[in-house]
Formats: sequence, C-alpha cells, structure tokens
Amino acid sequence: MGNPNVRKAAMATLVAMLASLATGPAVAGTYDLVIDTVTVDHSGTPKQAIAYNGQTPGPTLRFKEGEEVTINVTNRLSESTSIHWHGLILPPDQDGVPGISFPGIAPGETFTYRFPIVQSGTYWFHSHSGMQEQDGAYGSIVIEPKDREPFKFDREHVVVLSDSHDHSGHRILSNLKKMSDYYNRQQRTVGDFLRDVEEKGLSATVQDRLDWGEMRMMATDVADVQGYTLLVNGKNPEQNWTGLFTPGERVRLRFINASAMTYFDVRIPGLDLLVVQADGNNVQPVKVDEFRIAVAETYDVIVRPTEDRAYTIFAETMSRAGYARATLAPQDGMQAEVPTLRAPDRLTMADMGMAHEGMDHASMGHGSMAGMDHSNMAGMDHSKMAGMDHSKMAMGDKPDPFYAPGSGLTPKPADGGKFLSYADLRAQKPLYPDREATREIELRLTGNMERYIWSINGVKYSDAEPIRLRYGERVRFKFVNETMMTHPMHLHGMWSILDTGKGKWDPVKHVVSVAPGMTVYTETEVDAPGQWAFHCHLMYHMATGMFRKVIVEGGPQSAALPN
Amino acid sequence: MKLRALLSLVLAGGTIAGASAALAGGMHSGGHGHASLDFGKPAKAADAGRTVTVVMRDNLFEPENIAVKAGETVRFVLRNEGAFVHEFNIGTAAMHAAHQKEMMMMVEHGALEPDRINRERMKMDMGGGMTMEHDDPNSVLLEPGESAEIVWTFTTAAELEFACNVPGHYDAGMVGTLSVRPKNGDKTS
Amino acid sequence: MQRSFGLAVAVAAVTVALNLPMLGLPARADVMDNAMFTSVRFDQLEYRAGEDTNLAAWDLEAWAGGDVWKLALESEGEYALRPDRFENLENQLVVRRMVSDFFDAKAGIRVDTPAGPDRVYGVLGFEGLAPQWFEVDGDLFLSEKGDLSARFVAEYDILITNRLILQPLGEINLAASDDREIGQGQGVTDVELGLRLRYEVVDRTVAPYVGVHWEKKLGESAGIARSEGEDTDAARVVAGVRLLF
Repeated sequence: MGNPNVRKAAMATLVAMLASLATGPAVAGTYDLVIDTVTVDHSGTPKQAIAYNGQTPGPTLRFKEGEEVTINVTNRLSESTSIHWHGLILPPDQDGVPGISFPGIAPGETFTYRFPIVQSGTYWFHSHSGMQEQDGAYGSIVIEPKDREPFKFDREHVVVLSDSHDHSGHRILSNLKKMSDYYNRQQRTVGDFLRDVEEKGLSATVQDRLDWGEMRMMATDVADVQGYTLLVNGKNPEQNWTGLFTPGERVRLRFINASAMTYFDVRIPGLDLLVVQADGNNVQPVKVDEFRIAVAETYDVIVRPTEDRAYTIFAETMSRAGYARATLAPQDGMQAEVPTLRAPDRLTMADMGMAHEGMDHASMGHGSMAGMDHSNMAGMDHSKMAGMDHSKMAMGDKPDPFYAPGSGLTPKPADGGKFLSYADLRAQKPLYPDREATREIELRLTGNMERYIWSINGVKYSDAEPIRLRYGERVRFKFVNETMMTHPMHLHGMWSILDTGKGKWDPVKHVVSVAPGMTVYTETEVDAPGQWAFHCHLMYHMATGMFRKVIVEGGPQSAALPN
Repeated sequence: MKLRALLSLVLAGGTIAGASAALAGGMHSGGHGHASLDFGKPAKAADAGRTVTVVMRDNLFEPENIAVKAGETVRFVLRNEGAFVHEFNIGTAAMHAAHQKEMMMMVEHGALEPDRINRERMKMDMGGGMTMEHDDPNSVLLEPGESAEIVWTFTTAAELEFACNVPGHYDAGMVGTLSVRPKNGDKTS
Repeated sequence: MQRSFGLAVAVAAVTVALNLPMLGLPARADVMDNAMFTSVRFDQLEYRAGEDTNLAAWDLEAWAGGDVWKLALESEGEYALRPDRFENLENQLVVRRMVSDFFDAKAGIRVDTPAGPDRVYGVLGFEGLAPQWFEVDGDLFLSEKGDLSARFVAEYDILITNRLILQPLGEINLAASDDREIGQGQGVTDVELGLRLRYEVVDRTVAPYVGVHWEKKLGESAGIARSEGEDTDAARVVAGVRLLF
C-alpha cells in the first residue's frame, strides 16, 4: 500500500489490500474533474448546461481494477454539487449523495474522493444534487479488469445515451407540479377516438375511454416528460456521432443510459448484438436483435460488422416521442439509412394491474408462462426451472415475462428476431453464493400522477423512516409496481441480484426496471455498512419522493458512519 | 487409448462420468450419422501422427490457430478448464452456424445448462425419432473439468474452424482457425 | 374604484412574489420532495364583445405551496368599457389542503369590490379532478350580511389535436336567501356557459383562444335585474389568451 495519501476508512484499505494481494501493489491514479456551466446547442436553441472539464457528457474515466483512485472535484457552479459513482462498490462516505454520504461540495470548494476500485466493467458518474444531471452533469467510467474477459473484441466505443431538454431540470419539475401532463403531447385526441370507433366499434371505444376516465389515467402515459432532444455522446441525430470500425472487427459498444427520464429501445439494423455485460457485470453472452435500456442501466454489446459500409445505431425512446441516432462506419462521413419511428405503444389495463378485467387471454396464446407470477417462479425448484420454463422465456417469439401479460409496453423487435429480456441475462460469474434470503421487504412503488408525487409504500421520502438492514443478511426486496409508469430502481452501495428464477445464474445489477403491473424480486447481500440511497432513477420521480435512505447496521466497526 | 476413442464414437454420451466423459456418435437429425464429412473422417487413435492439445476456457480456446496437412490424422486432446460447458467442433463456418441453432434448441429444452449437460433430456424424442443427442464424430461437448479426445483424418485441403457452438460462445470469440494445407505435391487446394 | 384598482395591483404583486421561491429550490436530494412550488394561471384573459357592452375579463388562479398545503389567490374580474366600470371584481385568498388523490379542500376569504356595493365572504370549498376528466370547483360562501350562496364550476378539455384544445365550461350560482343590494335573489341566481378553442403556442405557457360566452340570470335574480332595467342574459364573442407560468 504505502501511499501516505490513502487515509481511508479501514474497510477501504482492507479491500484494497485484498486486491493488492491478487495483483501485487495497487496502482494509484489521480483524476481531476471541474464542474462548470457551458453553453450547448442540442435543439437549435442554445442553453446553459452543466459540464465536467468543459464537456457534456463529461470525460470517460478509465480506471483499472485494483487501482486506488484519487479524484479531485472542483465546483465552479454557484450552487452545491456532488458526484455519485454509479454502480461502484465503495465506502459509504465516497458515494456522493448529499445528505446521506456527505454534505455535498459547496461552490468554489474542491472535494477529494478516494476509494479502491474493486470491480471492472462499464459504469458512469453523475451529480446527485438537484436537477444537475438533467442539465448535463454526467460522464462515463470504464474499468479495465485484472483478468482476461470472457469475450473478444478488437475495438471499443463508449455510447452514452441521454436526454437534453430546452427547459432546465428545475423548470421541468416545477411545470410537472403545476400540471402533471405538461410535457405529454401524445394524448389521445378526437381523431384517435374516431379512428378507434372505426376499428373497434363505438361501444368498445366509449367503454375504453370511460375505463381510463374513471381512473383519471392516460393510456398514453408511457413517459412523463417529452420534448427531449435525444443524444449519443452529446450529439443529436443530425450531428450523428460516428464510431469507426474496420470490417471484420469485433466492436465492443459500451451503452450507458445517462438520461434523466428516457428509456430507449436500441438496435443496429444489419447487425446482431451480442450482449456480454449488464450493469458492469459480465453475463453469459446472448445474441439479440434489439434491447431496451432503462434509465441508468449499462449494457455492453459486441457487434461484428463485416461489410464495408455504415450502420445506424438507432435508439427509439420507449414512448416513441423521438430517437437518438449514431453511426458505425469504416470512415467518417458515411451514413446508413435511418429507420422511421414506430407508432407509440398504448398502456393497457394490464399495465394498471387489471389484467383480469377484460384481458383477451386468447390473443396471448401462451398464457401460462407469460401469466406466471414471478413469485411462484422464484419459489420453484430451480433445477426444474432451468430445465424447463425459463428456456422458453428466452425464445424470441415469447412475450417478455418482465411485463404484465397483455401489457402495452411488452417489447417487440422492430425488425423481427429477438428482443433482450431480463430473463435472458445470466451471470457469467456469480458474485455471491446462491442462498436463501433471510427476510423479505416489500416495496410498493406508488404515486399520484395527477399531483406528481411519487412514493414507496404510499409515503414519500421526507415523510418516511429509513430502511434498516443488518450487515450480513441477505434481503429479498419485493417490488410491486402499483403505478402505470416503469421505474428503474437503484440501490446504492450494494448489488441487486435480480431474481429471474435461475438461482446462481441470476444476473447481478445496480438498476432493476419494474414495469407497470409487475412484481419483481431482487436479493441483496448486505455487505456494506453505512447509509445508502435507494431510489427510482427517473429524475423527477426521485426528486418528488420515490426515494429511501437505507441504513446498514452492524458490520465492521471501522466502517462506522462519519456523521 | 484405443478403447477410449472407440467408446467415444460408440457411446451416445449418457451416463459416462469422470474426466473422459466425451459425448460423440449419432447426429441430431439422424441425417449423416457417423459417415465421413467432406473434409475428413473419424479415425483410430493408433493412426494419429501427432497429438494437439486444446484447452477450453471461458470463452476461448488455447491455442487459437491449428494447421494440419491433408491426409494427416490428428489426435485432439480436449480439456475444459472453464466454468461452463464448452464444445469442440471441427467444421466450416456454415456448419457451425447451423449447429448453433441446434445447440440453441438444446438450451431451450433444458438439455444444456450453463455448466451442466442434462443427458437424460438429450435423449428426449423431439418428434419423428429426432433427439437432441450431441454425438457427431467431429465434435465433443464437455462439462467443466471434463476432457476427451477426437481423432480425425483430414482428407482434403480446407479452411476450417474449430468452434464452441454453445449459444453465445462462438460470437464471444470461442472459435479458432483450422487450416488444412494441401498434401505435398498437390497442385490445387 | 380606487380600491378596485388597488386590489388588482395587489393581485399582480402577490402573483410575482409567489413565483420567486422556485428560484431557491434546494439542491440536497434529501429535501427535494418537500420543495415549494408556485403556479400562476390565467384561464381567461380576454375581451368579450357583445351587442351592448364590451368587457375585459380575467380568471386567475395563483398558488404557492407544497404537495399538501397551498396558499391560493383566485381572482375574477369583468371590466366594462364605456362606461368604464368593474361589473364584477372578486378576489379570494384561500388555503388549500390535499384531502384525496384528486381533490383539495379549501377555506378562506372572498372580497368583492365591483362598482356597486362591496361584500366580504367566508369561503369553504373543494376543487379537483373528477372521474372522466372534469375539472370541478365548488364553493360555499357566507357573506358578512349572513347570506349563504354557492357556486359550482366544471370544465373539460377536448383535444382536437394535442395543441388545439376545445374547452367547454359551465358555472351555476345559487343563493339561500335574497341580497337585493347586489342583485341576488333566492334560488338559482345565474348560469354561465363558455366554449373556448385555444391553441397552445409556447409549451403550455401561452395559448391564444377564441370562443363564446353566454350568461343568464334566473329566477328571483332575473326579476331583480329586470326591475332595474338590466338585461337578464348576454351572449358575447370572446378572444383572449390563456397563460400558465
């Protein structure tokens, strides 16, 4: 170790020592980030954005597994800031959440983060203060592994997807509080009514409108904020970010969804996508044609373009309100055809958790599997599961079991073929032994769309008690989505093992997306003492209360809380 | 050695345990059975002129390039040192592509788990007398820790690949080149 | 008159003041969901052209507060042009509290200072979103003279497109007793119907509209109006702009 600068908590040192045992002396790197405002023009209307080292997205920080990093963050804004290292396992006082990990970084102040890098893969960083992330405060992290990776690639590109709005984050939030559908310009119109009457008949259409009207919910409420310009590495579709390749090469694309509010459906017409990593952890390679990336997730995908031509990376928003577009090409300036946006999906009563009422089971055609409650699945004999049913889920023509049967949001591949499901993700190297959870905690994802209040178990953050966990336990979180929105739930500090019914192969993630009307389980080995944030990663859901503080009690004394 | 090689040809996987549990014999489709392929045919270990050891890891082969001569008989010693099931399969790129579909079916029907081969399930009748038994003479499927041998006579010059067609592995890079050079004196390849 | 203008200015001042706190939203994640917000909305800011009199009219609602409690200013006015006078000028200051997912209860004070006699009322009411998307607002008023009256308003948005929106509106006023001084007779006093077609030009912020506005005094109140030589009904074409800040 021998680095006099490292005066971290003993746990950090311990972890670093363990790392150094494996690799010899730890490398130490120092990085500097300056956060300041810049003027950007994404939509044709120049606006003030927040940048790291003068750029948004910020720079790609390249670390090595086993490295001791020192990161000096200087705040040149006129307000407090912070950086959260999204997905990194680190001491609680380095996690960068104001009010939970530390007080934040005051204007003019330089805060020095120090922590050991104990993992590898694709991650990102962003401000956890106010709405700064929406305004541009995010960047990517690539951690090179100690060991050879279980896949080959000749070249790599970081692909940061994000959503940029002409309105500042504060203004968006303020507008949503005035009028929750302020940004929804996909509401059903008189024309839609007439079209539906023609297709489904008058009484069915009227009944449909009455059903939604009774709930005062909108079938078009797939995304609560529209009007975004969608970006790839800070470039809008016209600016067309281009990544180069030589035909025949394996190209690793590190997709990061750094959006505040936007889910993307990503495809590259003409290329198979070999998914090799999700949320920084390797998964058993799975070949797909398209994948959905929730806010704050990362997916590493390998493509092998063999032809000497350009390919379009096409990322439609889940709401189909817009798309991000970039190009892979043998040389700059080449372009491929840009697909047209698909028609928006409508939510169905299944998304309202009301599938039993009026759902057309016949049209599903494969009810028993799709209709299974995940709780039953998880409870089943895993060996049988692995042998039988889960394999069906992996087939391209089956609906994704992580969407309610009949859900309007069930992903459908644009060009046919296979759409990635969580059910296809299998850990390449399980991080923890598979064991029974010691207890279950139910988290109902709740909200009041009309007032734009989001909550957990009906209580917003400022009115809620922290979730208390005990060091050493394995907690099973039961997420019950009672809202009509899709929520990417993010636990800081510890991994979320997503229960897909595959036992030891269940994928290990930092963000788990819970679709409307669904119950999803994750398990967490509680191995990080201290206090941590746990929230929906949709910026305005987090800001309005879908957030909890998690306190891990017990564990190594030396890692006691700083405050 | 001879016995083991023969066994690996004759026995349809099944219950062989231990380090030499090779799965060979019969074809999924029942199509070309044990017949020789365009580029060669199975042989006896005694005929092998040399031995090539190939180690399977997650997800790659060591070595990744093998060169042989037409007419040569090679004994391949295969060791799975990875944590997952891996295949060693000699064929053309097109053959591998076709075989990957079959392997996907094996996964979908539970015959193949990430680190385990479900041999009972492989015998399942898929209809029309077809089974998923993985028993081509040019390939072997190994669980972690297992090893096996293939003895093969390369009859004509060809550019082949040795590959693992477990879903995802080939695309992740678990494929090597097997270059069969023309016999000395041959004018064409 | 002076006082009326004074009130109008006060309305504007409060409106601006209410909008200031949003600039100071805290950056700490742990208190974001307790932030205070403000809203200023002119549902109507319009010119009404009729056979006899033309009017300038507004209907304003401004609020500041959090998810549960809000302080709201509701202002309505009709200013007749030639002769210049406030036909109607009404300001309410109410406290609103969330009572259900879709409804707020409210209580406060209403001050009417039109060209005629003034009145001060206590207000108890509710407002919110009823099933089938009706925005509704109901109030009970008890005047300083001890007269009880009530008002119910409902409006509905019909989306021709996502920006071209037709809004029907209905209002009914009732009184439990006569207050002849202000032209109020027991029973249903008057009804109003409006139909406005707006186009949202800049986000939801600026939406110009055209429409029609019709009002009619009924029952005892109509009798009072007739006895004073006033019309009991009026239909006007309106043009204006809806604003939301």
